[in-house]
Parts: sequence; structure tokens; C-alpha cells
Amino acid sequence: MLDITNLRKVFPKEAGEMVAIDDFSLAVQNGEFVCLLGPSGCGKTTVLRIIAGLETLTSGTIQLDGRDVVNSGPDRGMVFQEFALFPWRTVRKNVEFGLEIKGVSAAERKTIGQKYIDLVGLNGFEEYLPKKLSGGMKQRVGIARALANNPEILLMDEPFGALDAQTRNQMQKELLRIWSETKKTVVFVTHSVDEAVYLADRVVVLTARPSRIKEIFKIEQPRPRDRANPEFIALRKQILAELEEESAQAPKLV
Amino acid sequence: MSDGKKQENGKSFFERLQDPSMLRTLFLTIISLVAFLIIWQLASDWLNLAYLPPPGRVWDALVLSFQVPDPTLGTTMGQNIVASLRRFLVGFALALIVAIPVGLVMGFSRTLNDLLRPIVEIFRPIPPIAWVPILFVAFSYIWGPVLAITIGAFFPIVTSVSFGVRSVEPIYYDAARTQGAGRMAIFEKVVIPFTLPYMMTGIRIALGVAWMCIIAAEMIMAVGGGIGYYIWYYGFNGPYDNFFAGVIVLAVLGIITVGLAEYAENYILKSRGMK
Ligand SMILES: Nc1ncnc2c1ncn2[C@@H]1O[C@H](COP(=O)(O)OP(=O)(O)O)[C@@H](O)[C@H]1O
Ligand SMILES: [Mg+2]
Repeated sequence: MLDITNLRKVFPKEAGEMVAIDDFSLAVQNGEFVCLLGPSGCGKTTVLRIIAGLETLTSGTIQLDGRDVVNSGPDRGMVFQEFALFPWRTVRKNVEFGLEIKGVSAAERKTIGQKYIDLVGLNGFEEYLPKKLSGGMKQRVGIARALANNPEILLMDEPFGALDAQTRNQMQKELLRIWSETKKTVVFVTHSVDEAVYLADRVVVLTARPSRIKEIFKIEQPRPRDRANPEFIALRKQILAELEEESAQAPKLV
Repeated sequence: MSDGKKQENGKSFFERLQDPSMLRTLFLTIISLVAFLIIWQLASDWLNLAYLPPPGRVWDALVLSFQVPDPTLGTTMGQNIVASLRRFLVGFALALIVAIPVGLVMGFSRTLNDLLRPIVEIFRPIPPIAWVPILFVAFSYIWGPVLAITIGAFFPIVTSVSFGVRSVEPIYYDAARTQGAGRMAIFEKVVIPFTLPYMMTGIRIALGVAWMCIIAAEMIMAVGGGIGYYIWYYGFNGPYDNFFAGVIVLAVLGIITVGLAEYAENYILKSRGMK
């Protein structure tokens, strides 16, 4: 379980300081799919980076299965909007990166790596370099790379934000399939209401800066969800209204 | 999969010749060289100066210099090339051994950069030729010239490598850290591979500089011959046919080595998905 209590993050600024996150508490259950939804610039990436250990927190606590999160580590897999694949490594070598770091033997690396390459549907592309892949395929590599370490939790920062609409929808379906096969806990950041409602068990709507939790929506519709379903549309409308209130309050952020 | 790779790197020289823009470049290169030779010939005919021999005579001197040992220096051009190449390679290898680690740590560690940068900046602007006499005194006639080349090649490599390390995009550090990499693993598996193409750029630039240094390196003497010494000697004493023959040999050596480095640089960039 991921347990965030009273998280606060302050960035120093030339004049004074900027409170990016304040009074942020959230508990994510094992196997749960949670979406963080908020206006752009509100601090979603920062929350995720703090959980990943890439950024320090100013105060509050973050615990993963009862242990304090202090540094970055392979128990929290991260998937980046910019993919962040190593361009000089083939698909296979990218996926095996964390296993290499861990000192896993070459043979075992290959077995584990292949399992995740197959899982994300990249069988046959093992020896490709990232630049030869489409955006959707790149992010499949990003997901496989994060999963290969068998993390407790998958952190995804607008992973499909750089993809065209069609690929994006396809990747959302794929992600749900992967999620149901691996049963990982997922914290997924997005600014798309549609994406959040389509994917999440719970949608956490954040306020404009400083980021606080404005409201949490539980989405109980069974998957796969139908975007044309009136219930889906109603929920999307409701959350959108909530979000627009925030964007309106912080026009300088848009 | 291998098909994709082949498409990219496997175009043969002759296949590329089919490319009209390539043909055009080749055509213009030939025009340029022919025009150069004609102007040289005409200038030599009109001016009739001892130090401007016509291309034909330089060519004869060049051919002869390979066939028989030089009457004054006692070495054939082949021996000169070998002697210079040996100095060059040893000097360049030393530069690589020192400059690559220095560049890497300067790029990676703020503290080491702040410690080393002032020293590098003090020595960088000094032309390598200035060190030649003192290197002779300190390291004798064998290592003196070698070290002059080392000094010349050192700075471009250090600069490119440390620049390469500082160019590593932060997102790669983030990705590596979330994969469990510590500082050493990041250095080995992110910084060094990322920097490799920059290193090749530095090596290409350093090769050019090092060939210029061979003249300085062999300024005082060159035991067993040397192309730099040959150019010095005939540049001062004539006949100038030999001087120009030496210059041509040096130019060709430079073009070949820099061309090879350029090729390697491109190949590395492409095969590592960075271009
Ligand atoms: N390292 C940093 N130093 C200073 N300010 C930062 C830093 N990282 C993010 N910020 C600021 O914090 C705010 C939230 O950023 P971010 O978490 O990236 O928002 P989001 O992902 O929701 O768009 C922004 O105003 C951004 O400029
Ligand atoms: Mg963001």
C-alpha cells in the first residue's frame, strides 16, 4: 500500500518560495489504479517525482508497504511522458537495464526481459533501437522497462500525452490489459478527464497551485468501459466541471 | 531486424555514387582540384620564383623521395612517414589515456571540474610549439616530440568529452535512478555511452591539431627521419620542390586520418541510434 500523509513541497524561488504541493494525503491500495487529474502546472509531476524518490519532500511522509520512501529505487517503476528510453540501447537492452543494475545473470535477464517484451506486445522488435519505433511502441518499451524490475507500484506521468488520439486510445486499452495481467498498483498522472475516467478505479482531482486534493471520484463502471455509455458521459461532465473551476481560478497557469 | 540496420549503414560507396547530389559534389571536387593545379602551374610559370616550383617538378620530387633515401637527411619518404606516424600514434594514444578520464570526471563532478578547470584554462591558450624546446630538454629527443603531440591533442578531447558529459539530458539520469542505478552505475551505463559520440568529435578535432603539431614536434631534430623535420629542413634550405612534396605528404596523412575519424564518428552516432 502507498500511503501519503500531509505531503508538502516548497520550491525556492528568486523572491521567496513557491508552494507546489500542500496538505496532500492519499492512500492507494495494492492493485488499485489511481489517476491524478489536475490543471497543467499544478504539481502532478512533482507528486510523482517525490514518490519515485527523484525529488525530496519538504514535509510529510510517504510510505510504501509501511516503509518510508527516502531515495529512488527499482521498487517504484516510472514511465515518462518523454519515454526516456536510452537511445543507444536496443529494445531488449532497455528493458534489461534495471536487471543489469541489479546484477542479474545474462541468461536470466534475457528470460525476464523477454517476458515483459512479450507482455507489452513487442515480440519481434527486441533488437530495434528506439528511434526506429513509433511513439506508441516506445512507450510500450517504457512500460516493459519499468515492469521488468517487478516494482511494487507503477508511476506513470502522462505516459500517452505525446501520442496521437488513436494510438492513445489503443495504449489505454493495452495498459488495462497489462494492469489486469500484472495486478500492479498504478498511479497515473493525466490532465485528460476522458483518460482518467476510462482508466481509473479512483480519480483524484487536484486543485490549482498549491496542489491539494479537491475531490476523489470512485469509478465503479466495469471494464472495458464504453465511452458512449450515458453514465460514463455524465461522470466525465461532472469531473470536467470540477476541473474547469480550478483552471478558471488560476488563469495564469493555463 | 537486420534488414533495417543494413538499409541504414550498408549503402556501399558505389551505391551512393548513384545519388545525383553525391555525383555533383564529386564533380565539383574534381573541378576544384584541377583549377587549383592550373592556377598553380600558371603562377609558377609567370612568376618564375625559386620557392614556387610548378606542380610537375613537385610531383617528380615526391616520386623520387619515395624511391631513394634523401641525400641530406638520409631517409626515404616512406621512412619519414613511418617515423612520424610512430611519434604521432604514441603521442595521440597518451593524449587519449589522459584526456578521456580527465574530461569524464570534469563533466561528471562539479568539484573536480572546479579544481581542474583553472589549470586546463591556463594551459589551453599556449600553442603547443612553445613547449617543444623545453620538452626536448626535459624528455630528450625521443619523448620530447611525442609529448608535443600529446599536448596538442589533449585539449580538444578534454573539452569535447566534458561537454558531452554535461550534455546528458537529465531525463536519462531520472530514468536510470528509477531503475535502481546509483552514481557509479549511472556513470558507467549512462554517462559513458552517451558521451561516446562527443568523444569521437573531440578525437577528430584533435587529429587535425596533432598533425599540425608534428611540424613543431620535429622542429629541432627527428632521429630516424620525420615528415615534419623534412618540411622544416627544405622550407629553410630548398630545393622547394622537396618542401612542397613534404607538404603534400602531410596533407594526405591528415586527410586520411581525419576522414577515418569522421567516418567512425558518423558510424557510432548512427549505430547507437543517436542520429
Ligand atoms: N525543480 C523545480 N524547481 C522549481 N520549480 C519547480 C521545479 N519542478 C517543478 N516546479 C514548479 O512546480 C510547479 C508544478 O510543476 P509540475 O509538477 O511539473 O506540474 P504538472 O506536472 O502538474 O504540470 C510548476 O509551477 C513548476 O514550474
Ligand atoms: Mg507534468
